[in-house]
Amino acid sequence: MTGNTIIELIDVEKHFRSFVALSNFSLDLKEGEFFSLVGPSGCGKTTALRIIAGFQEPTSGVIRIGGQDMRAIPANRRPTNMVFQSYAIFPHLNVADNVGFGLAKSGLSRAERKQRIGEALEMVALDGLQRRNAHELSGGQRQRVALARALVMRPKVLLLDEPLSALDKNMRESMQFELRRLQQSIGITFVMVTHDQYEAMTMSDRIGVMFDGRLEQVDAPSALYAFPANPKVASFIGGMNFLPATLLNERNATLSIEIAGLGSLDIGMNPGVTRHERDLLVGLRPEQLYIGRDAPTDYDVTAQGTVTDIAFYGESVRYHVQINGVPEPVSVSVPNYFHTVDFKRGDAVWIAAQGASVIDLGTRSDNEPTKQERKV
Amino acid sequence: MTLESDRSGVFLAMPATVYVGLLVAAPLGVLVMYSFWTQTYVDIDRTFTWENYRAAFSDPLVRQLLVRSVWMAGLVTLLTVLLAYPIAYFVAFRARRKMLWLLLITIPFWISYLLRVFAWKLILGFNGLLNSGLASLGLINEPLDFLLYNELAVIITLAHAWAPFAILPIYVSLQKIDRSLLEAATDLGCGKLGRFLRVTLPLTVPGIIASCLIIFIPTVGDYVTPALVGGSDGKMVANLIQVYFGSANNWPLGATLSLMTMVSVGAVAISFVALVRGAGKAIR
Repeated sequence: MTGNTIIELIDVEKHFRSFVALSNFSLDLKEGEFFSLVGPSGCGKTTALRIIAGFQEPTSGVIRIGGQDMRAIPANRRPTNMVFQSYAIFPHLNVADNVGFGLAKSGLSRAERKQRIGEALEMVALDGLQRRNAHELSGGQRQRVALARALVMRPKVLLLDEPLSALDKNMRESMQFELRRLQQSIGITFVMVTHDQYEAMTMSDRIGVMFDGRLEQVDAPSALYAFPANPKVASFIGGMNFLPATLLNERNATLSIEIAGLGSLDIGMNPGVTRHERDLLVGLRPEQLYIGRDAPTDYDVTAQGTVTDIAFYGESVRYHVQINGVPEPVSVSVPNYFHTVDFKRGDAVWIAAQGASVIDLGTRSDNEPTKQERKV
Repeated sequence: MTLESDRSGVFLAMPATVYVGLLVAAPLGVLVMYSFWTQTYVDIDRTFTWENYRAAFSDPLVRQLLVRSVWMAGLVTLLTVLLAYPIAYFVAFRARRKMLWLLLITIPFWISYLLRVFAWKLILGFNGLLNSGLASLGLINEPLDFLLYNELAVIITLAHAWAPFAILPIYVSLQKIDRSLLEAATDLGCGKLGRFLRVTLPLTVPGIIASCLIIFIPTVGDYVTPALVGGSDGKMVANLIQVYFGSANNWPLGATLSLMTMVSVGAVAISFVALVRGAGKAIR
């Protein structure tokens, strides 16, 4: 994980006529890490992946893989291989020929190729299906063939374009673990593009969050979750309540603030944002708020409110609670623990929060969240 | 439910069945009957005989014309598909305005087949466009006489006439190829040529087979083109059949020749498809 840099992207720009797909895009990827690019559709994450693979030329900027400048090197000679979103299994070839496709010019003998194909298929638990035709494979098997076909080339970097989006939910979850395990056992760098933040969080060592062609933040999943650089990242990674607050006092790494409708408390300073006015924006994760019929005693701030909406998720229940003095209903998520949580619409409840779980998002006017980001 | 859909299926197929029955099956039956009868001056002797087949098989002219027809149709097919493939490839992969290009490709159909053949006569003729053009450029002193009234003229004319029929099936099969398959081939180390030979070409084999059959089958029996631009050594079997049904007034022998041609075309077409399929399997 703490290996050397394997991929460097420096100030990469990609324009399609007047549309800017990537802007000022710089990124260092380490040897042996599982890196994910996440963002809403159209944010440029696939473009970034395709530029690394060589399917698209950047308008400007530098790409190095293993220290070597890639700008003059076409896609077929780059030390990368790709797992395509559609898997791109050659329909006229069987499993063994699909997996061995890239070995044709490797100079390996027939027996060596057969051996390598067998090893790759064993890695993805498909050994024995060599003679199976492409159209006889299930979705999960196609994905494994695509994976084996790329890994058999022993690339320095494996690129995965939404590799799990075509699978059903159960298959997707088991493949998340399997992909992660595979990456750790072979130790090569994986770069995955996904629009699913949970998928990125469960699988990756580091995540890059993209919006509108810009890389907003690069960090480990837990750090992204705890210290999002701005409301966009905060709302894309997990759910988030955005509340206006006033800065009362600032010393060392602690901010004393007053959250309208909730009260005053001390919170940790987020090193990634700036504060140049007293009007701040703070974030509260729905699952880190207290909700109950009685007022708790050991919380920093408490307030009374009314349940306005309920969403049942199975493993958790999410309540929207209107609090006096807070502009919009606050979203609270509670684990469905032995079905003990059961509030009805209109119930009077207490809401409480600890300073440790309130996220400092900097000066409010710098990054007023949009209406869409407010939705949690 | 099943019964009802069966019934509606029969009902829906009725018009086509009647149409095909009256215009294909019935005439074919008449043709088969005639081939076993004998022409006696103005009358038909309806006693069963293999005589027509014996006569046709032993006639060197029939054999020569039949072989030449199949050979020329084969050449036309090969030439047309070879010319059509790059055009289809261009429209499918490179062209911006695909619909406009497809429209342009069908333009030859906007004028009658006969007029197109006559146009080639004007282009290839002794004082035609090509000869006078070359002469005025000073490239030739006297007109080239190998352009018209021979096999070459027939092949050129037919290849032009059938080009759209070859382009469209190949275009469709190229268009159907998932572009990520081509990227995958590149990603796995293929250059442009390797990618074409290992992915694009194998995936367009169905389109190529369709084009070949669509061109080969009708051109074997074509008689307008050889009659107009073929001269004496560009004649094909259909011209002979026309003579037997027309001026020679020997329908039984004409019917025999027609059936022999049909069987030959069928045999060649079936063995061609089998060959291509077999070759495709062997390559893997």
